[in-house]
Amino acid sequence: MSLDDAMQTFIIECRELLESMEAALLSAEEAPASEEAINAIFRAAHTIKGSAGLFGLDHIVSFVHVAESVLDKVRNNEIPLDPPLVALMLQVCDHIGLLVSYLEQLKEPDNDLLEGSAILQAGLSIYLSDTPPPSASTLPVEHDAPYESEGGTPVETDNWHLSLRFNQDVLRNGMDPLSFIRYLGTLGKVVSIITLTDTLPPLDAMDPETCYLGFEISFSSNADKAEIESVFDFVREGSLIHILPPRSKISEYIELIQSMPADDMRLGELLIKCGTLTRQELEDGLASQREVESPDQAKPIGEVLIEQNVVQPVVVAAALDKQKAVKDVKTAEASLIRVDANKLDQLINLVGELIIASSGASLIAQKEALPHLLESTSTISRLVETIRDSALSLRMVPIGGTFSKFKRVVRDVSAELGKDIQLEISGEETELDKTVVEKIGDPLTHLVRNSMDHGIEPAEVRLARGKPVVGTLKLDAYHDSGNIIIEVSDDGGGLNKDKIFAKAVERGLIKPDQILSENEIYNLIFEPGFSTADAVSNLSGRGVGMDVVRRNIEALRGTVEIRSVLGEGATMRIRLPLTLAIIDGFLVEVGDSSYVVPLDMVIECIELPVTQAGHNAENDADFINLRGEVLPYLRLRKHFEITGEPPRRENVVVVQFGDRKMGIVVDQLMGELQTVIKPLGKVLNKIRGIGGFTILGNGRVALIVDVPSMMQEAEHAANAQISDAN
Amino acid sequence: MSKTVMIVDDSTTLRQVVRLALEGAGYSVLEGADGKDALSKLTGQKVHLIVSDVNMPNMDGITFVKAVKQLPAYKFTPVIMLTTEAGESKKLEGQAAGAKAWVVKPFQPAQLLMAVSKLIMP
Repeated sequence: MSLDDAMQTFIIECRELLESMEAALLSAEEAPASEEAINAIFRAAHTIKGSAGLFGLDHIVSFVHVAESVLDKVRNNEIPLDPPLVALMLQVCDHIGLLVSYLEQLKEPDNDLLEGSAILQAGLSIYLSDTPPPSASTLPVEHDAPYESEGGTPVETDNWHLSLRFNQDVLRNGMDPLSFIRYLGTLGKVVSIITLTDTLPPLDAMDPETCYLGFEISFSSNADKAEIESVFDFVREGSLIHILPPRSKISEYIELIQSMPADDMRLGELLIKCGTLTRQELEDGLASQREVESPDQAKPIGEVLIEQNVVQPVVVAAALDKQKAVKDVKTAEASLIRVDANKLDQLINLVGELIIASSGASLIAQKEALPHLLESTSTISRLVETIRDSALSLRMVPIGGTFSKFKRVVRDVSAELGKDIQLEISGEETELDKTVVEKIGDPLTHLVRNSMDHGIEPAEVRLARGKPVVGTLKLDAYHDSGNIIIEVSDDGGGLNKDKIFAKAVERGLIKPDQILSENEIYNLIFEPGFSTADAVSNLSGRGVGMDVVRRNIEALRGTVEIRSVLGEGATMRIRLPLTLAIIDGFLVEVGDSSYVVPLDMVIECIELPVTQAGHNAENDADFINLRGEVLPYLRLRKHFEITGEPPRRENVVVVQFGDRKMGIVVDQLMGELQTVIKPLGKVLNKIRGIGGFTILGNGRVALIVDVPSMMQEAEHAANAQISDAN
Repeated sequence: MSKTVMIVDDSTTLRQVVRLALEGAGYSVLEGADGKDALSKLTGQKVHLIVSDVNMPNMDGITFVKAVKQLPAYKFTPVIMLTTEAGESKKLEGQAAGAKAWVVKPFQPAQLLMAVSKLIMP
């Protein structure tokens, strides 16, 4: 571990803290913030400042410091956390995020950045009007006045003199006087030291927890007085500590002697013994002192009382109980371990190899048909399956984190658009692969903005349509047959089919006489260069984005579909695979080639009715009647142009994707297997209908059927047939 | 045997940096994420010094120090409080609880190291 690692931790931690700060601020906007929430906001700022200070990041420290001071006032109920302040604090959050990202990119803070800091700082300092914001980077350091004194000649020594009478409680407070003196040794040289034991009571009366000792030290050092004084910072309370610089005037020594609660003559002797004073100096000093002061002004010995500092016995139990309630969630967080994502990927790759190896072993066992071998390979397979599931679950994270970011997006965008829009979130606990979660943020943002901008109507239109003035945007996530569905729905105007069609014709995306299904028309909005917004707004409507959305989602092996009811709202449904790496597959064969269909999509397998065998065989797509339902099917043999004669009996694998079904006609059904998806190389990855490949237990390669794209093919083929018929 | 310092703070970064600094100087380091967590880790092993933040979730530093001072095994363990320049009242409260030493946040690792070595040598 190095400081760089620590810096990484700092960046990650900052991001987390900012996220929770933002969440707390947003909740504070909706309802008056609880004490707990305000504390959380304050603590986030406080922690960021503290950690930044560790790295000497003064620009961050001084910026966060101001925000922290304002939050401190909020915490003490001096100022309310009203909407303008929340808005300001949100900006502060963003700015801290920016500061941190500069750090992450190893960029030096530039003028723009610092200017941003200054503007926000100015905004914040209004709240601090009575206390001007101190710059944290230049914390006041107390400097002692230069030592000038009158009376007497300088004493002939180059050494400091330290006179220490520790607080009697010093040991009880966990401090060892000796360690301070040892530390003093790091600043210079302890020339001589005299331990005073006069206050030490007889053994039977002695309390071993009490410190009875005093010290007189002659100390040679180049350190300044503040430095030497700071050594005793922690014990100053209740202790008598006198530090005389080298060449102090003799009168100062005399003052010292008189202020000590010991017999002054005896202390004088000690100073001589210590080598600080010569006998002559002492006598001269004492004599001159007596001339100046009347004796009754001398401080009586023992006048200085040592304050006892007793630790108050406190009942901790009450405090413990109070905090128990908050505990639950927080402890769960504390028991997390941070793992490098690369290590996880490596683990998953290895698990993939393990699966292939174990299915190889199973295959051999089946061939050899040795009962013992079969038994043990089946145990291994079962275990491997469990390992696979738990390894994959390591990568799973709830989507809630991504969703809650949209609270802010919706808030900001609705303010920008002047529309009143509320966000409803459900299904936050739905888990999906970390990679997917990371990559889904952008497309989701675009869909959300699009819904808010184009979907939800302005208030007056909503009123005219008899809808509630406040628009609603919903984010939902749930599992659906091996897929994760993420929905963005709004209660806005919905998509206007005719308008989209007209626009697409205008843009030359389609021909005016083309027959398109409702779905196909909606999907036109994902075509590059399509935009129906009459005025290009700041948010969306530039016609770039929706096609990028679809591309991003398809890169995750997902799809996006649109449901819309004109005047009532639209739903964008993103369908994503549960995981990107390993799936349960269904192995089929066509001729000599093996194919894998993702098992989650397989509903049933039937035999191709004899009436269909050979029927329309030159055409690769057709329909069958599946219990009264029209089921389009596609011959894999034709589709991939596999040579050779089909067997007498062909099989149909019925697959479902979304709410569409289709059949895939294959030669033979081989059964289920675990499949590690290997991506196709660059040259091959444009082939429609193939989503990747995998290596079978026997070492052969099988192609993984990409059901969604194959379905599109089948639909196109069907549409073409209809067009032909027309 | 090197002396053991326990650092209690809710910031992972801070703990990590403090650990680096202290281990570099020859101390052993124990970490506590908050008062409660730290208290649960004080189970008999020798801790020579505790460095604790004040403002923490679950159990704040003051409560933590008070609780530590109730444990016979740690009654005399010195405590350094990490306070803020704004938190003068907190400092006094901490001192009343038994934390006689303090370091003002934000600090540089060297500052903390200095405070630690005043109290215990590595």
